Amino acid sequence: MRILRRWRHPSSWTIFRLDDRLLLILIAVIVGTCSGLAAVALNRSLIAMFEWLHHFRHYWWSFIMPAIGAALSALFLDKMVKEGAGHGVPEVIYSVSRYGGLMRFRSSFSRLISSCLTIGSGGSAGPEAPVVMSGAAIGSNIAKLFSLNDRQRVTIVGCGAAGAISSIFNAPIAGMVFSIEVILGEWKAVNIVPIAIASVAGTEISRILQGNQIAFSHRLFHIGHLDIVACIGLAIISAVASVLLTRLLRSMHGVSKKAPFPIWVRAAAGGCAVGIIGIFLPIVLGEGYHSVRAMIEGVFTQGFGIVALAIFAKILATSLTLGWGGSGGIFAPCLVIGSLAGLTYHRGLVLLWPSVPWVNEGCFALLGMAGLISGMLHAPLTGIFLIIEITGSYEVILPLIIVSVISTTLCHYIEPVSFYLKELVEKGQLLRPGTDARVLSDLSVQELLEKDCIIVKQNMLLRNFINIVKKSHRNYFPVEDERTGHFLGMIHLDDIRSYLFNPLMYDAVVLGQIMDTDVKVVYLDDDLSEVLRKMDMNRLFSMPVIANRKFIGMISKATLLDKYRKELMVQTDQ
Amino acid sequence: MDAQLFHIFRNTPLGRETLLQSIYFCKKAGASLIIYMPEFTKFLMYFENDVVQIDLDNSYLTSPETALKHAKELLDQGKIKARFLEPKNFTASTLPDIATNFDFMCCPRSISDLSSKIGLGYIGPRVRRIVNSARFPVLITSPVFKKWRSIAVFFGGSANAINALKLGFRISRASGMPLSVYTHMEKASKESYEEIIKNEKLEEEMDRYVTEWHMFERGKFEENIYDVPHDALVVLGAYGHSLIKNIFFGSKMEKIQSTITNNLLIAGPNYGLGQK
Repeated sequence: MRILRRWRHPSSWTIFRLDDRLLLILIAVIVGTCSGLAAVALNRSLIAMFEWLHHFRHYWWSFIMPAIGAALSALFLDKMVKEGAGHGVPEVIYSVSRYGGLMRFRSSFSRLISSCLTIGSGGSAGPEAPVVMSGAAIGSNIAKLFSLNDRQRVTIVGCGAAGAISSIFNAPIAGMVFSIEVILGEWKAVNIVPIAIASVAGTEISRILQGNQIAFSHRLFHIGHLDIVACIGLAIISAVASVLLTRLLRSMHGVSKKAPFPIWVRAAAGGCAVGIIGIFLPIVLGEGYHSVRAMIEGVFTQGFGIVALAIFAKILATSLTLGWGGSGGIFAPCLVIGSLAGLTYHRGLVLLWPSVPWVNEGCFALLGMAGLISGMLHAPLTGIFLIIEITGSYEVILPLIIVSVISTTLCHYIEPVSFYLKELVEKGQLLRPGTDARVLSDLSVQELLEKDCIIVKQNMLLRNFINIVKKSHRNYFPVEDERTGHFLGMIHLDDIRSYLFNPLMYDAVVLGQIMDTDVKVVYLDDDLSEVLRKMDMNRLFSMPVIANRKFIGMISKATLLDKYRKELMVQTDQ
Repeated sequence: MDAQLFHIFRNTPLGRETLLQSIYFCKKAGASLIIYMPEFTKFLMYFENDVVQIDLDNSYLTSPETALKHAKELLDQGKIKARFLEPKNFTASTLPDIATNFDFMCCPRSISDLSSKIGLGYIGPRVRRIVNSARFPVLITSPVFKKWRSIAVFFGGSANAINALKLGFRISRASGMPLSVYTHMEKASKESYEEIIKNEKLEEEMDRYVTEWHMFERGKFEENIYDVPHDALVVLGAYGHSLIKNIFFGSKMEKIQSTITNNLLIAGPNYGLGQK
């Protein structure tokens, strides 16, 4: 029986408890493999769906296919797995930032199925965010099984995300960098080693099952000095497209929320609109990798006007799909929009200066992708490494860096936070490691309570109170109602100073007459950042804590800062 | 400091009975009441090492326009003040996070399934996970409001049972109600149970709070449960054993909850961890 019990709890196996780093590495291999498998499963399912539905795309009614897919996807998420819909990545960041990476088990498969329905039917979205969510949830649940602490669990969630991105793009460095730059937000050796291993595991799974292929291979680009200068213009266009996509997506969310229809009807409406756009511009349908491949190879035959129009159409289609309730991510749409932007820009340059020997248009398509990814995610390294790995073109590294960096900087000026973090920041829920808010979020009012205060009644005579003051080492005294025990106010030693030298007043004044009733109070569930803000604003050094209208203790700035320091040491030591 | 009991209000007659039970518990145990009026049919509870999504039965959202009024009426009748909980954090726009730093939580036997399913012998999967993960004990109420006038603790000698016994002392101390201990002696002797109490240094509290210690040497466990007064709050530990042991030998908590209609206060395996 004991053996069976131990078998049930892998966390108690001696081998895993020998060394924490070894344990993390072993779990990283498992998580990387599982998330890699999840990515391959989604990829295969999407291919199967595309092939199955391909025959129906020629019918006049094919525009309703994205509507059906999005509606089914919304119904699945809302009714069957009962998940709050979303892109996935913000939820992973939220869980990492606030709850030590705790995620539900159902998240490890729900987005795979829902995004397959949305994208497979023609919705304009990408499969990357769903596999990131799936991989992260797999990591979180495996970490739970091994009873890892919060810090270790966060690393394993990062491993899941890294394994998923590495597997779906066959790009281990991009997976690693994405996980650290976007999901975890901190570069630490303790994170990097397991995440690198998970990336390798995820990539290897993809290579075993799907072959070692570069997603968007192409011929060699010969980049000249003028091309590098021209990249600045492309970065500006990419930044504009990023901001446009971010804003339209968010405004679609807002409009959709106000619509008085069930989520599946809204998703169907969005899908239907995408289907109609797709009749005229089929490039907007699905993940769009086929078009990206054509653009990079330089065989995309549409003219300048159509390509330029397609940028706006794809932005609109993505916003309609994701903003109205469909499931999927923004990675793939960013790649499509970025390559369209690059192509448009190149064709514009050729039109203006036909005699200049510009590099092949595929190179600009590739640089546009990096610009869009970097601008949307505010993650230049992810953009650079992803494009290098999925195109296998190290020769474009210099313009790639220029486009990524300028695009990120410009986007940062216009939209100070990335698309993934925008909602979290607006709600004050983004708590990055080592930040003030994060340290304070790990403390609670309850653990800072100082309970050595002497409570006095409002009918107490000043004479009796002075006797109490003699015994107390505090300057503050909470006053409560004799009958109900409710908190009424506070008395500070300064409040009685004027009466102290007049003994005639000792039996004439009761505390209810001199107490301060306009007291700023703290409640048990108040956020400490808010408490600290109140103290700073009102120049207070301590405040009474109230629960159920009764005084339960004091909270002081000195204790708060002392605990803050200790918590910071714990967090930075881990 | 006041202990806090967390209650999810269901605006139905069944919900009324459950709230009455919570009010009674708070008055007796000296706890303050925190009520959550759900706006969505789901919410998340983040525990130490688990996250539980509670998918509420749709009846929780019945007539939201009258819910607050109904709850306040019951509170006024019970002459008790309560705080209404407003979720601050949301994992998704329709998925609020509910804090888990309470001292007690009140649940009917199921909160996810239709109330028509609720009966003896059935505890919903979400309630089970809360009991398993929470550091607070869960008050599983009888379907109809029933005042309890004594406390009955089931004590089998395990670590969980000791936690349940300590919980019994705590409720007895706060409510002033008599406490009885029930032990179904399996292979162990009376002395061995007394030894456990001695080792845990609970002798003094046993003398102070326990009015009677019923030790059943004969008869089936289910039969002996009949001796528990119908108006006692039954306190017991749960899920202290491994799944395998439960499959082979059965769970005592399951036997108790499928046999008696009393209010149950269940201490899960994580109860008391924060206090050690």
